[in-house]
Order: sequence, then structure tokens, then C-alpha cells
Amino acid sequence: MPADSPSPSSLPSLLLLLPLFSALSILLFKRLLKGASVAISVGSSAVCFVLALLMLGSSDSVTLIAPFIQVPGLTAALEALVDSQSRGMIFIVQSIGLLVHLFSLGYMKDDEARERFFGALSLFMFSMNGIVLAANLFMAFIFWELVGLSSFLLIGHWFEKPSAAEAAKKAFLTNRIGDFGFMIGILCLFMANHGDVSFSGLKESLASGPLHETARLHSGLMFLAAMGVFMGAVGKSAQFPLHVWLPDAMEGPTPVSALIHAATMVAAGVYMLVRCSFVIEASPSAALWIAWTGGITALMAALIAVRQDDIKRVLAYSTLSQLGYMVMAVGLVASQAGAQHDSASPGHPAMFHLYTHAFFKAMLFLGSGAVIYACHHEQNIWKMGGLRRHMPVTFATFALGTLALAGLPLTSGFFSKEAILGVAYEVKGPWLAPLFWIAVLTATLTAFYMTRMFCVAFLGKSRSEHASHATEVPAVMALPLVVLALLTLLSPWDWAARLLSAMKPDHAAPHLTVLSASLLALGVGVGGGWRLYRNAESDPLAGRPWSRWLENKFYFDELYQGIVHLVQDGMAWLISGLDRGLIDGLVARLPASIAGRFGQRLRALTGGQLQAYGFFLGLGLIWLIYELVMVLPLNPR
Amino acid sequence: MITLQHYLWVSAALFCIGLAGVVARRNALVVYMCLEMMLSAANLTLVAFSRFGVRDGLPDVNAQALVFFTITVAAAEVAVGLAIILALFRAKQRIETDSVNALQG
Amino acid sequence: MSPLFIALLLPVVAAVALSRGAPLKLASTPVALANVLLILGVMLSRGFVSPEVVSHVGSIAMLQSPALNLSVGVDGLSLLMALLTVVVSVCACWQIDNKREGARAEHIVAHLISAGALGAFVCRDLLMLYAFHELALIPTLLIIALQGRGESANRLRVAWKATVYLGVGSLILLAGLCWLMVSLTPEGAALVTDLDSLLKLAKEHPLPALKQAQIGLVLLVGFGTLVSLFPFHTWAAPAYATAPVSTAMLHSGVLKKFGIYGLLRVLPGMLPLALSQAWLQEALCWALLGNILWVGWVCIHQRNLDEMLAHSSVMHMGYLFLGLAAGGAVALEGVALLAFAHGISIALLFALAGRMRAQLGTLEFRRLGGLGSHSPALYVLFCFGMFASIGLPGLANFAGELMIFVGCFGHPGATALGMVQWTAIAALWGVVMSAVYGLRALRALFQGTSGSGLFLSDPPLAQRGGLVLLASLLLVAGTCPWLPLRLIAPAPKDKPAAGAVAPKAH
Repeated sequence: MPADSPSPSSLPSLLLLLPLFSALSILLFKRLLKGASVAISVGSSAVCFVLALLMLGSSDSVTLIAPFIQVPGLTAALEALVDSQSRGMIFIVQSIGLLVHLFSLGYMKDDEARERFFGALSLFMFSMNGIVLAANLFMAFIFWELVGLSSFLLIGHWFEKPSAAEAAKKAFLTNRIGDFGFMIGILCLFMANHGDVSFSGLKESLASGPLHETARLHSGLMFLAAMGVFMGAVGKSAQFPLHVWLPDAMEGPTPVSALIHAATMVAAGVYMLVRCSFVIEASPSAALWIAWTGGITALMAALIAVRQDDIKRVLAYSTLSQLGYMVMAVGLVASQAGAQHDSASPGHPAMFHLYTHAFFKAMLFLGSGAVIYACHHEQNIWKMGGLRRHMPVTFATFALGTLALAGLPLTSGFFSKEAILGVAYEVKGPWLAPLFWIAVLTATLTAFYMTRMFCVAFLGKSRSEHASHATEVPAVMALPLVVLALLTLLSPWDWAARLLSAMKPDHAAPHLTVLSASLLALGVGVGGGWRLYRNAESDPLAGRPWSRWLENKFYFDELYQGIVHLVQDGMAWLISGLDRGLIDGLVARLPASIAGRFGQRLRALTGGQLQAYGFFLGLGLIWLIYELVMVLPLNPR
Repeated sequence: MITLQHYLWVSAALFCIGLAGVVARRNALVVYMCLEMMLSAANLTLVAFSRFGVRDGLPDVNAQALVFFTITVAAAEVAVGLAIILALFRAKQRIETDSVNALQG
Repeated sequence: MSPLFIALLLPVVAAVALSRGAPLKLASTPVALANVLLILGVMLSRGFVSPEVVSHVGSIAMLQSPALNLSVGVDGLSLLMALLTVVVSVCACWQIDNKREGARAEHIVAHLISAGALGAFVCRDLLMLYAFHELALIPTLLIIALQGRGESANRLRVAWKATVYLGVGSLILLAGLCWLMVSLTPEGAALVTDLDSLLKLAKEHPLPALKQAQIGLVLLVGFGTLVSLFPFHTWAAPAYATAPVSTAMLHSGVLKKFGIYGLLRVLPGMLPLALSQAWLQEALCWALLGNILWVGWVCIHQRNLDEMLAHSSVMHMGYLFLGLAAGGAVALEGVALLAFAHGISIALLFALAGRMRAQLGTLEFRRLGGLGSHSPALYVLFCFGMFASIGLPGLANFAGELMIFVGCFGHPGATALGMVQWTAIAALWGVVMSAVYGLRALRALFQGTSGSGLFLSDPPLAQRGGLVLLASLLLVAGTCPWLPLRLIAPAPKDKPAAGAVAPKAH
């Protein structure tokens, strides 16, 4: 039961208040604090990490943080829910957050707007903690939008650059479209569940309350609710068709990409889906849509990544693809409603993959940041090469990350991908079966493009001046890489998972078909990539007709631009004209002109002719006499 | 036999001619003359009613008394009206009625 | 003797003093500031009573028969609106450029608008409500004609259009109010104009539903014209784009809310069954969708900051009408909260636009850009105003919008989506549209690089005061919406574990 009054000293409250305090003080007192702002931000992140560790050992609770809106008829309170899922997620967020803060100390050393960056980072940590700890959907939505704002500020950090400003705008708008759907879902649930949208309340109600009835009898409403919540995840986790903001978001500084786009913000969508998985279970048609959306995203992104030359873009599309995996897993698990998947206890394959992916993806992004830094902000992999000799630490961690992502047996990525492939294989239902093969194909492509990138960037000869003079990054940037590598290595093992309250699914021994399929995918992908790119000077796949489709991301950006231009701006022009012409004309100018013409006619009465006046005067007088003499005596008042 | 009707018809005709002149003529003096014509028509009606409204062998003197009132009013009105026409002539050098059109809208 | 009379008198005295030549710096902003303190004092002395309680009551008899009193008193809603009025007034006076030639007239008009709006919000008499609104409205139209921007032919045309349009709207409003008062007054008695008496009469002898709907229609058209409800909105955008800064701030921030306030007073209390008639509710839903979607699209087309702000102001009124259409305590409280928040945010934005125009000479997106690099303070303030306007949580507008949308869906146990719910879903798209044009303005003006070399510089700290006040109010009301809600909503009596929805008439 929630506490009656807010308790600002509880762990969850501190996790929210500390980064908020850091962000506000940087906003208000930036000029006074100067360099100290950086210290405040990093300090609050460090303290929050310690708090996250403490929280790992705490018990489940619901704490009231602030009574946002409490009126009869609506309770939207900021309450924090601490259970196994939020504990694990908080640990991921805080650990990667702290490492990114440290990395940024070095990466953003020479940036003029350093303080603003760290302020936005603190705001992001505040918002992200809010999403993870949210105990009800209203609070989740509030922090959902705040995360959108933080990512707008971070992606658009260098807002003088037009491309960065555009990318930030695109990110916020795409997220807004997702939020539109999210709010519809929340409102449907609010209505169906008599005003209670807390996670515990919804789950109870679905099991044996008003929502149970709704799920049985009004599947349309449940479908709308589930798809609404899913739309929020589509926006936040950049699923198809709202995926276009993620690659452009690489315009922000690389630590931002590591934090937001690898590990935390995009994972928030998956996290919310898992939190609301009971809603999705209640609507099997929604689960079908969700699984397929995830599958399509995974495959499409993997295909695009094969032909990208910018190191950050490859990683961005790789993230998209892995997120697709996670979403697909959510849909698949939910479609098997009735099976023993209880979302409260550990064991959801999507969460497990999120957890392992967070660590090695963040490591890969930070590694790419190190590479970019070392090569003087060069991001094209064809202008790198031979970095193995110059940057050993980065090379080693990057190799580990690549192998984990490709799914080498015994790496964390292997276990989590196995779990998802297992679910996909065991799923029942004619519409869901092809997803297994899509997943396997995607795994093959993943291994392929990661090998390609690794070979081109790190192996072979240096292909440019900068690459040949690259040196290892300073310790403050290398340390996070090493720490993340350790976490990547440790994460799949049971004792670590239990300690970190993580979500390793405990399922039966791996299915032989699944195991062989994943090994085959790994072999084909790595083998193909190695053979094509081991000593390549230029990309052998470029120039093919189909490769242009992949390079241009299936022309989705152009399609959306066209839609925006035609539908939005075209409609805007049309309606603006109609507003001026039709509405204004009908409501304002038409009566005005009628009144005007009427007045012109009446003008004849004041023609200036003396005798006319006299004539009308006489007429009036006659009428008056008539009234007085003939009419009035008959009906006196 | 000349009856009351004949007198009334004549007086009505005189009134209408006068009214037509007031409404239609532009010369202010002509308008006044027609106005006088209308007043004369009213006088004629009164006299006719006096002549034919016999009471105890004598004509109705009320109507005759009213005639004198009418004549007096006409005279006063002409005095004022001619003064206005003179002022109009001094201002506009014309006595057409359409020269007073400053209030024309 | 109520302190509210002093609050009404102060701006009038200031206006008169200014017209006689009192020094601008002494007689204008300090008086507005005094008014702020006065209203804050009223708030504090009111304490924690229930929002329906009317405090600080006072009455001055003006006519014996028909009985017409200048009666004042504040309940929670009035106090919130009065706070909005005085805060926006002081910021508007602060923003006027005293070196400009027509500054004195601008100050006088600002005070008259302030007096009129304040009077409208605190008076307890329907006819005086109308009269005070006219007091506030007429100087607005005058100053648009005399000192509006642009060539004189254009501003005269704009002022004429607004005058006639609003005049006709006011006339329809007056007809509706009189019809209401006549209907509620018992047979043979003198006309009742007092709000409290009317509310009591309406409760004891409610009018038949159809008549309520008919009167409601007339009042919606009347008040709606004043609030720029679609399709009676075309006067608003040119008027705001042409008006001087302080007038735009006061009119769009405060005066427009008068219509909403009037509907909040009249509809739930005296015409509760009006919107139960399907035809009226449907008509209102279509009209408000016109505001949000149609005018939203028009707004997307704008390439000029002040025109965009003017149209966005019209667009946001749609949400307020959505709350009114939904009915129920939550939605109506949301309407009051959003009205307050929108007033503050649009005042902030217009103030910034005015400042920018004064320095740059133009507000066209095409010709500007990259202003953020040289004026970080204005950039931050603009972000506050813009993000508040598009409904970002943490800034004031979100809480109101959330309550309105929740109020639309707050029918317990309903399992099908009705007219109001579908309207709400369509209206939700408005948040995407407002983000489109809001961010486009931000990107075009403050980010990127400068196209034509025009630069903006931050105003000195003394002049930032008004803007910072508005922005901080947005932040405070946004992060702690329970504070303004305490004024207008009853406290929750039981801890909301199950959260039963209980819509009750306000």
C-alpha cells in the first residue's frame, strides 16, 4: 500500500531528487558554478550508483514521492515501485550512466558548452529513473515525455549545426507520435479500470476484476489499450515505422549515443512493454502485431546495417535490430498467454536480452567514441584500419563486444539470443511461426555486419593519416570500457544474475534445433564477413543495385519527408487558404457585405431630397393617426 | 343640385394638386404656393361643412371660426417660411429644394 | 468593505493618473506589483477553505430597481483567475518599452484591461461580469487601431474587424445572459442578476433540458466568439499579430479566459443538462475539433512567429472546450488549470516575441536563425514557453491537459467509446501538431545558423524580471500542480487506492 505522505529520504526519492537537483542548479546557476557543474553532475551520478547498489538489497515496496494530482476522480501520484525488475533496470541505468559521465569527462573536455551537456545528462538520469521506478502509468508517461525532452537537448547539444538541430527535432517529434498512442492506451485503461492505472492495480484487475470482464467481452477496447501502450514503445524504442529518429540521433556526442541509444532510453520502451505485458497478454491480436513489428524491425535494420560506412550508424542500426528482437520476444511471450510466464518474476527473455545488450552495446558505443576521438573525429570505417596495433585496450573490448553481439557461445549475447530464439521456435500459432526464421536470418546478418565493421576498422592496414597516428585513449575514457567488458563477461552467469537481481530466464535445456540454428547463423555470418572483408580495401558489396536500397535505408527518410511535405505542409497550405477564404468569408465577410448592401439600399431614405423627407414624414403621421383613432380605442392597454 | 359631395370633391382635388406640387416641384416658392393651395383646400372643406351642416336654420359657426384659425396659421407659416427661403437664397444663391443636401447620406 | 474593491480601484486610478501625466516608471509597474501583493494577501487570508466558499465579499448598491449591485467576492476559481490577471498585468507593464512614443497610451490601456479583467473575475453579478469585460475589451480595440504594427490601413482594418466581430459576439452573449436570467427569475419578481441567487434558483427550479440546451447554445456562441471558438475565430490571429506587446499578452493571456470563466460559472451550475442534449454536445465537439485540428493546420502553415503564436493561442482554446464538453469535476478543474497555465505561457511567448521584434525588426523564420548562440537566456526562456505550450510534463500546461483528457474518459466502467472519447482521441493529435510547429519555430529561430546576420542579445537582468517570473510560475505550477489545484478542487477525502471516479457538479 502506498504511504500516506511523501518520504523524501527514501531510496527511490533520492534517486529522483539528486539528479533533478543537479540539473536545476546547473540550469539556474551555470554562470556562478562554472566548472563545478560538471562535478555536481558526476557526483550525483556516482551517489546514485551507490544508491542503486543499496537498492539491490532492499525489499519490494511502493513509496509515495509527490502527490502530483490528487482530486476526487483522479489520482496521478508520483509513486515509486521497487521490485525485481526495477531493481535490475536501475542498476543498469545507474552503472552505465556513471560510466558515461566518466567517459564524457574526457570526451567533452574541450567542448564550450560542457556545463549544459552535463546538465542535460542529469536531467536525463532524472527522467530515466522516473520511468524505471514508476508505479503507475501516469507517472510513466510524465517521465516518458521528460526523457524525450532530455534526448532533444542531448542530441541537439551542438545546435548550431543544422543537421544536429534537425535530428533533435526529428527525435522529439517521432517520440511525440508514440506518446500520442501511449496516452490513448493509458486513457482506455483508465476508463476500463475505474480510474486505477497503477501496475499492481491493473494486474489484479486483469486477473479478477473489471478488466477481466473487459478483456473477455470487449476485445476491441483491450486491443486499443494494448496497441496504445505499444505505440509508446514504438516511438521510444524506435520500432518500425517510427524508427527514423534513431540513426539521425547519432548527431549527438558519442557518450549520448552510448547512454541513450544503446542502453537506456530505447530500452525504456521494452521495459514498459514488459511491465505491461499482462495487458498485451489480454489481447492476443495485439501480441501478434507486436511480435511482427519487432521481427520486421530486426530484419530491416540488420539489412541496412550491412551497407553503412559510418561506425556509429552501424551500431545504431544494430541497436535497432536488437530492439526489434526484444520487442518480438515480448510479443511472442505474450501471445502464449496461459503459459507460465509471470512478468513479475525474473525470466522474461526480452528483459534478459535488454540487460546483456545494454552492457556490450554501451561498450561498443564508447569504444567507437574512443576510435573517433583517436582518429580526430573521423567516423568512416573505410578511413580507419589497423587500429589493432595502436589501440589495444579499445581493440580488445571492441572484439569482446562484437563477439557478444554476434552470439559466440558462452558470451552473454549468446545466452540471451538463445532465449529469444527458443521462444520463437516454441511458439504455437500459424501466423507466428515464420518469425523464427526471420530471427535466424537476422542473427546471420548481425554476425556478418559486425564482422565486417570489426575487420575494416581494426584489422588490416591503416587507410588514412589519422588512423596511422592513432593512440590509445586516456585512462578516464578507457576505464569505462574495461568495466563494461567485465560486466559483459560476468552478466550471463547465474550468481551474477541473482546478485544483480537480473532477469535470466530459467528455462529448460536449450533445444537442439535452436542451438544448431544459432551456431549456423554465427558461422555463416562471421565466415562470410571474414572472407569478404579480411583484407578489403573497399567494399565489395557496393555498387550492386540492391545495395543502394540498403545504403539509403530503404528510402524511408525520403518517404517520410515526402509525406510531411505533401500531407502536412500541403494540407496546411490548403486549410490556411480555406480558413482565410471560406471560414472567414462565410462567418465574417458575408454578413458584413450583406449588412453593407442592406445599408446601401436604406441609404435611399436619406437621399438629401427635402420633399422625400416630407413625404415619409406625412406617411408616418397618417399611420400614427390611424393607430390612435382606429386601433387604440379597440384594445386599450 | 350642388351638394356637399361636390364641394368635398373640389377640395380633395385642390388638396391633391397641392400635395403633388409640394412633393414634386423643386422651386421652394412654388412649393410654398402649393402648400397654400393645400391650406385653401382645408379651408374650403371647412366652409362646405359649415354651409351644409345647418343647425336650427343657421350654418355651423364652429367650422367658420376654425377657418380663421387656419388662415392665421397659414399667414404665420408663410412669414417664417419666406424668411427661411431668403436665408437659403443668401447661402446658396438658389432656391431649389435640392440645394439643401448637406445631410445627404 | 472588501479588499477586492481596492484591487479594482488601483489600476483605474493608475490609468487616470497616467493620462494626466504621472511619471511612467512610478505609476505603472509598481501599481501592478501592488495589485499582485494584494491578491496574494487575499489568497493567504483566505486560508484553506473549500473551493466553493466565497470569501472577501463586498457589495456597493448601484441601482435600487432593478436591483443592481457591484458585488464582489472570490471563490477558488475566481482567485486563480485573479492571480493570473495580476501576474500577467505586472509582466505586461514591465515589458512596455518606455522610450517608445506611444508608451503612455499602452500603459493606460494595460491598466484598464487589468481592471476590467479583474472586475470580471471577482464580481458576483452576471451583468457586472459583462460590463467589466466590455471595460477591458474596448481599450484593446482602440490601441490596436492607434498603435498597432504595420501600416495604418492594415491595422485599422484589423481593428475594425475585431471590434465588429467581438461586438456582435458580445451582443449575442448579452442576449443569452438576459435570456438565462429572465428564465431563472421567478414570475413577477424583479430580474435576478446575482450569481449566488441564480445558482440557488437553478438548483431549486431547474429549467427543462431542451431550454437549457437552447440557452446553452446562445451562450456558447456568445462566449465562444470571445474565446475564438471555431468557426468564430478569424478575428483573433490578425488582432494579436498587430497589437502592441502588452496588449497581446493581456488579451490572449487574460481576456480570452474570461469566456471560459463565464462558461465555467454558468454551464455546470445553471445549465447542467445543456450538454446532455446530443445535438449540442456533438456540435461543440465538432467546433472544438475545428479549433484543434483545423486551426492547428493553419498554424503549421505560418512562417512568422507572431502569427504562429496567435494561431496557436486559438488552437489551445480547443482543449478548454473539450473539458467543457466532457463535463464532470475532473475535466472542469482541468479547464481552470489549463486556462491559468495557458495564460502564463502565451504571455511569456508574446513578451519574448515582442522583445525579439524590437531588436531584430522581423520575426520571419526564413530570415532568422541561430539566435540561441548569442542570447542563451532568451533561448532558455523561449524553450520554457514553447515546451509549456506543447504540453510537456513538468510545466504547467500538462497537468491541465491531462485532467481534461482524463475527464473525457472518466466514466466508470464504460466499455465503449462515445462521442466525447473519440473527440478526445482526435484532439490528442493536437499535441503532435503543436510539437510540430513549436519545434519548427524553435529550430528556425534559435538553432542552426543565422541566415541574414541578424543577432539578438540578452536583455539586462533588470528587464528579465517579468519573463523570469512567468517562466518560474510555469515551472512551479508544472512540478507541483497540487498547489493551484488546492485552490479549485476539493481535497481527496479518502486515500485513492481504488480510485473510484465520482464526477460531481462543480
